[in-house]
Amino acid sequence: MTLIESRADATRPAVAPPTGRRRGRGDSLVPFLSGRSYWWYLLPGFALLTLIILVPLVWNIYLSFTDYRGIIAPQWSGLDNWVTLFHDERFWLSFRNSVAMILAMVIAPTVIGLLVAAALFDVIGRKFGAKLAAFLRATYYLPQILPSVIAAIVIGWILRPENGALNTILQAVGLGQFASNWLGAPDTALVSLMVVLVWIQVGYPVVIFMAALERVDPELYEAAEIDGAGWLRRFAAITMPMIRPEMFVVALTCTIAALKVFGPVYALTGGGPNFATIVPSYYSYSQFFQNQQVGYGATIATALTVVIMLVSIVFVWAQNRAERKERER
Amino acid sequence: MNARRLIATTGIAALGIAALAGCGPAEQESDGVLTLWHYEGENSAMGIAWNRAIEIFEEETGATVAFEERSFEQIRQTASQVLNSDEAPDLLEYNKGNATAGLLASQGLLAPLDDAVAEYGWDETLASSLQTTARYDEDGVMGSGSWYGVPTYGEYVQFYYNAEMFDEYGVEVPTTLDELEDAMQAFVDEGITPLAEAAAEYPLGQLWYQLALTQADRQWVDDYQVYDNPVDFAGTEVTYATDTVADWVESGYISSDATGLAAEDAGTGFINGTYPMFFSGSWWYGRFLDEAQHDWSTFLFPETEMSPGSSGNLWVIPTTSGDPELAQEFIDITLRPEIQAIMGDNGGVPVAASPDDLTNDSSVELIENFNTLLDQDGLAFYPDWPTPTFYDELNAGLQGLLNGSLSPQQMNEQIGSDYEAGLPASAGSSTP
Repeated sequence: MTLIESRADATRPAVAPPTGRRRGRGDSLVPFLSGRSYWWYLLPGFALLTLIILVPLVWNIYLSFTDYRGIIAPQWSGLDNWVTLFHDERFWLSFRNSVAMILAMVIAPTVIGLLVAAALFDVIGRKFGAKLAAFLRATYYLPQILPSVIAAIVIGWILRPENGALNTILQAVGLGQFASNWLGAPDTALVSLMVVLVWIQVGYPVVIFMAALERVDPELYEAAEIDGAGWLRRFAAITMPMIRPEMFVVALTCTIAALKVFGPVYALTGGGPNFATIVPSYYSYSQFFQNQQVGYGATIATALTVVIMLVSIVFVWAQNRAERKERER
Repeated sequence: MNARRLIATTGIAALGIAALAGCGPAEQESDGVLTLWHYEGENSAMGIAWNRAIEIFEEETGATVAFEERSFEQIRQTASQVLNSDEAPDLLEYNKGNATAGLLASQGLLAPLDDAVAEYGWDETLASSLQTTARYDEDGVMGSGSWYGVPTYGEYVQFYYNAEMFDEYGVEVPTTLDELEDAMQAFVDEGITPLAEAAAEYPLGQLWYQLALTQADRQWVDDYQVYDNPVDFAGTEVTYATDTVADWVESGYISSDATGLAAEDAGTGFINGTYPMFFSGSWWYGRFLDEAQHDWSTFLFPETEMSPGSSGNLWVIPTTSGDPELAQEFIDITLRPEIQAIMGDNGGVPVAASPDDLTNDSSVELIENFNTLLDQDGLAFYPDWPTPTFYDELNAGLQGLLNGSLSPQQMNEQIGSDYEAGLPASAGSSTP
């Protein structure tokens, strides 16, 4: 603190300007706290952040440099876990599967959500009334309300190879040749999981995008219509640019969710068959709790955290850049 | 408190939590109450027998038992944290094996029981092959070293068969491997998949191991389980097991859909008469007695003296127990013939029951098969015990084999390298 105070003193003018604010009795010695009493209100949140996020994060990073098995005190093992991680094919496979998760939880739901939201707002809402649009929006959102593990267990029953509803229906309608061991065969397990994730995820962008469309000035659409613009043209020229901030938010939050997806993988496939659907969070969980290789599990979790932070930084940077360009236009 | 002080306090609190996380537990003081955890259902053979043991214990010692029922998964996933805290019970049931009881023993969380074994004579009560899972060396490898647990029941894997379907299709109970394949072929010819299987969980892994045991001797089991010598995953035992599973899938004896099925699916498939045969553990016996609506019976895998199996899970006493003497007395009561007979009569596999004490005839066959295995030193433990990760890895390899993404040779290479990667440093290496 002495250093901060002396620096603060050093930057203070030797003679206070006549109109300058004089340092009062209640002002803090910390420069950024001066006269900004709202910082006090942030302190409880900061304390909780420290206890709930920062301490476990630091502890997790520390454990990644140990051979901790969850019992006696961890022993420092240097970079051993990290070296193992970089040579661990299963770890890299789990990250390759994360790309599929991003496709299923970000790209597909965002595209589908955009189209559905625009259709509900612009077509259903106008032609059939706002109530029907709101009802359909709630319907799409329903899977988001269901606990993902419960939804996954029910879907697991539907996709069972023997007497599962999907295969039974396929056989009943004469499409028995398409019946499959959906979650047990390597060529269908990942795709089946992705379809389930799209179903779970699509309601979220629909709700966000519909809320965003509420703030678009209807005169813009009317003017475009008078000018003869069709639905597609209005969608591209008005809808898309107007809800770009929400698209960034959806893309960022869904990407984070995709990178750390766990529940559906745990309940539907357990990472199988033969690790075909393993993802980093499930791999970390299995090392932590099933194999009691806590140090290695912490290494995977730390690597995942780093990736999520990098992705978040890139997203925020891209969003700021896009907004800056928008303002400069 | 000013902002700086608050921030500093927060930081100190955070560091305090981090420091506390590394602290060990303190030994609890005796309170005359035996805190007991186990995960056997109230109506299971063990649950019924141990409830009676609690009554006897309270009558004889005047102490009380504070019983808390836990689930298997609860104890499996949290025992290390709980036993490393001040909340540990005085006595609990815990999973046997290197990766479980062995790990806890090697980390100093379980009290050695050598003195109690000498005092109560448990080494005389329990057959030597049951003692393997009770003793662990300083690396947590079972089979030698101090006693850290006491088994009071046994378990083993065998064939269950639907006697009505066997009669209907004129299939005889097989006594040789060829007859077993003929029996399965007879069902395939009728359009019936003969074996209820699951590769998402343990059943197929146990069948694979049983097939390896048909080619193995006790030394191979010791090599595989307790690392006497490196295991050759290109050797006769493993290649026979893998090739045979692949052949049986090819022949339709096992459905490739088993990749997506769990043990419960296979068990219920046998119960509801979808499959005529199920190769799995004695833990299903009581349930089949309750739920199967058809006549069924059992036989040991033909042409081999060994079968997957071991002692049941163990009574262990945490190092921090405040009443270890009471815990030892309770363990001893659970080994009494009268308690063991209750277990046997309710579909369990007692380890110290006198056959004369049993009143339920349907349990006799179960116990006779177990005694046959004990007599021929046939308990070969389980395939996933050697390394903490091998359960998932063997299942994954078999899933790959069933769905055709791995050839038998590729599967052997994959599980061989998984096995080797998971061995403790003291174990040397295998030759995958």
